Amino acid sequence: MLRYLRLLALGLRISVTVGMQYRWNFVIDGVVSILWTGLGLIPLTIAFHARPAIHGWTFATALVVVGWFSLLKGILDGAINPSLLTVVDQIRQGTLDFVLLKPADAQFLVSTARFEPWKALDGLAAIGIFVWAFRLLGRAPGALDVLGSLALLACATLVLYSIWILVIAAAFWVVRLDNLAYLFSSVFDFARWPVSVFRGVLAIVFTFVIPLGIMTTYPAEALLGTLSLRTALLSTVGALGFALISRAVWSRAIGRYTSASS
Amino acid sequence: MSSPLAVEVRALSKTYEVHERPPGLAAALRSVFRRKYKTIHAVSDLSFTVEPGERVGFLGPNGAGKTTTLKMLAGLLHPTAGEARIAGYVPRRREAAFLKSITLVMGQKQQLLWDLPPADTFTMNRAIYEVSDADFAETLGELTELLDLGAIMKKPTRQLSLGERMKCELAAALLHRPQLLFLDEPTIGLDVAMQLTVREFIRQYNERRGATVLLTSHYMDDVASLCPRVVVIDQGRLRYDGDLPSLVRSIQPDKRVALRFSGSADREAVARAGTIVDFDAAHAVIQIPRVDLREAVGHLLGLSFVADLTIEDPPLEEVMRELFSASKPAEADADAGTQADSA
Amino acid sequence: MSARADLRRVVRAYPTLLRVGLAEAVAYRAEMLVWMLTTTMPLVSLALWSAVAETAPVGRFTQRGFAAYFLATLLVRQLTGSWLVWELNQEIRSGTLSRRLLRPIHPLITYSAQNLAAIPLRFAMTLPAAVVWLVVLEPGAFPRSPLALGAGLLAILGAWLINFFTMALIGSIAFYLESSTAIFDLWMVAFMLLSGYLVPLELFPAALRGVIHALPFRYVIAFPVEIFTGTLRGEAIVGELGIQWAYVLGAGAAAILAFRSGVKRFSAFGG
Repeated sequence: MLRYLRLLALGLRISVTVGMQYRWNFVIDGVVSILWTGLGLIPLTIAFHARPAIHGWTFATALVVVGWFSLLKGILDGAINPSLLTVVDQIRQGTLDFVLLKPADAQFLVSTARFEPWKALDGLAAIGIFVWAFRLLGRAPGALDVLGSLALLACATLVLYSIWILVIAAAFWVVRLDNLAYLFSSVFDFARWPVSVFRGVLAIVFTFVIPLGIMTTYPAEALLGTLSLRTALLSTVGALGFALISRAVWSRAIGRYTSASS
Repeated sequence: MSSPLAVEVRALSKTYEVHERPPGLAAALRSVFRRKYKTIHAVSDLSFTVEPGERVGFLGPNGAGKTTTLKMLAGLLHPTAGEARIAGYVPRRREAAFLKSITLVMGQKQQLLWDLPPADTFTMNRAIYEVSDADFAETLGELTELLDLGAIMKKPTRQLSLGERMKCELAAALLHRPQLLFLDEPTIGLDVAMQLTVREFIRQYNERRGATVLLTSHYMDDVASLCPRVVVIDQGRLRYDGDLPSLVRSIQPDKRVALRFSGSADREAVARAGTIVDFDAAHAVIQIPRVDLREAVGHLLGLSFVADLTIEDPPLEEVMRELFSASKPAEADADAGTQADSA
Repeated sequence: MSARADLRRVVRAYPTLLRVGLAEAVAYRAEMLVWMLTTTMPLVSLALWSAVAETAPVGRFTQRGFAAYFLATLLVRQLTGSWLVWELNQEIRSGTLSRRLLRPIHPLITYSAQNLAAIPLRFAMTLPAAVVWLVVLEPGAFPRSPLALGAGLLAILGAWLINFFTMALIGSIAFYLESSTAIFDLWMVAFMLLSGYLVPLELFPAALRGVIHALPFRYVIAFPVEIFTGTLRGEAIVGELGIQWAYVLGAGAAAILAFRSGVKRFSAFGG
């Protein structure tokens, strides 16, 4: 355990060193996250223009969801995506062999290979949005609610990571992954809306298949203090379920990699 | 049992299916709905053993199954049938102790972190393999000296030349002092001087640490100078296992004699000694069966226009070409090799 | 070699390039499926905005109006998609681009053939949506006059060209920086919001609309969509066609120049 923590720290240190080499990324990422966050609010303002609530959500409460979305996007782009996209390159070039020959857990090694420290900026944008939202609401979030929402953030991150592992596992079957990654980020973009806005098939898809609810809506509800204990527990169970499934699929993908072609 | 064999391979086979992509639009459209698969027998019924500390060269034409075999021994590919054991371990289980005792170097692929100096990859591997500080310092010092890494270790990998990169690849792969080295084309693309350096380094490492070396290479010189023993694989099957000189003798029982002439040479007179391979005004090369060598050389030296004479083996590349051209693919081959018990 | 001989060769080779491109597109079954799912995103937008318009229309848009808008968006996106950035980034990094450079045809032309060849297939997959839209939702809105129809098709061609050329331009940056996908993300951010892909541009605050009309994004999605949903008529179409094709020419020139100077650098460094 301690060893893996040390490996994680080493991975972070190396990423920061590399990040320093590409400083222009800092500028671009900064501009992108400010632009994205700012422009991303336009549809929300249009939707809530001249109507007080949609399916129980007001502008201010929906804004909290957007804040969680920004935060999670930062985690995705900064800590999950970079490592897992390198795996795809490694599969293509055959250098994944080196990872598989290392005497440490392969999933851990590929998941901690790379971080993009600059993406922490998205976190700042998220905090800005939370502050704005709660000023509109005219109150501060309760301390217990903050704790609860942080616990749900862990669940959200776990789900996001697990889904990405599933996407990457698909890369063992389909070598070109750009499309799949693009598909996922297109879907993920809808996590900026409260999941209860969707009805019918999409509501089922976004609750169970790609649980956008666990990712942003429930943490937001927790922060607002409106989340039921039942939903909180269910989303924890759901997150663990996703983690188990993705771990199993990953092992199978590795098994297939080592039993299939040369 | 006393100390286990370094490598023990019994009836190892590997088959896999590839999707055939036929040419043409109509065929491509058809293949959306129904795909045809073809079974490839990469390795069939391979058996051999290697003692600890041996240096063994794998020879064979492209696609013979050398890399597939190496990958199965390293645990990267699972055999379809048969069994492999490395120092008593079953490779496919990929136990940590096994992984710590082996290493793989691939001439065409690199594990060094591209944007950072090799020293960072070394640190990373040190942590992954749990090498103690003292051992790390000692091994790194030794490798730095043998490979002359001092200056290049601190430069970003992307700025290194191919040769410098290969030196660092070797160092990164050996930091945990593996007892078994899988080297897949380690000298590919390197210039002659660098090939020599790498070769010499591998020999020294083998002698110093008593590590076993399994090597594949396209450069016959690598194999000839490094490996007292060769294993020849062709179309996934074992063709030969033994020392190189006897292999050469069994395939090409002739010697070559190179002549240098002074004055005009008589082709007829030269031809009486053996088969002419090459002949011009100043030089000739003739091929002579080993048994007739003594007599033929006497005859050649008696010729007044022969100024100089050297006896040599036919070039290794040529011997290999002869070996592999003798084994034209037999059609029935494709069905064989799957009878062994499944693993 | 004269320019005319060059052109003749391209014209002669193009049908074959298209055929090979289609065979390639078909060969990747899983890719096809993924792409199909990706391009259904306007349907999610549709669901979202339908919910918003449940109680009262948003601006001019009723639920049905949103349905027509996003189905048209789906079609236009399908017909004008390009993915050259990823292709270029990968081929530059791995050095496989040199194989293309050896051929006696400009790489951008072979890329364009690959791109175009995949479109009929994608169109076939979205055809059901088109039928629903035409027959059920807005039977009156679809342009009837051959002139408007022609303008619509021209607008779609222009949209594809803008997409293709900007992708080539951004892709060419990868000759200079290790990867230009970060810059592409920037374009994507702007595209998603300012092209009308996620929200009809009419609904934007009036202050922003002038800026949006001057930016290229509108001409990639919203402009053709508005022709086909009948929002844009007559002279307005002609004026915007002018702006769109000015962008096509500008993007084309920039892409070709950037690609050329990039290749020079690529050859100098040996990939």
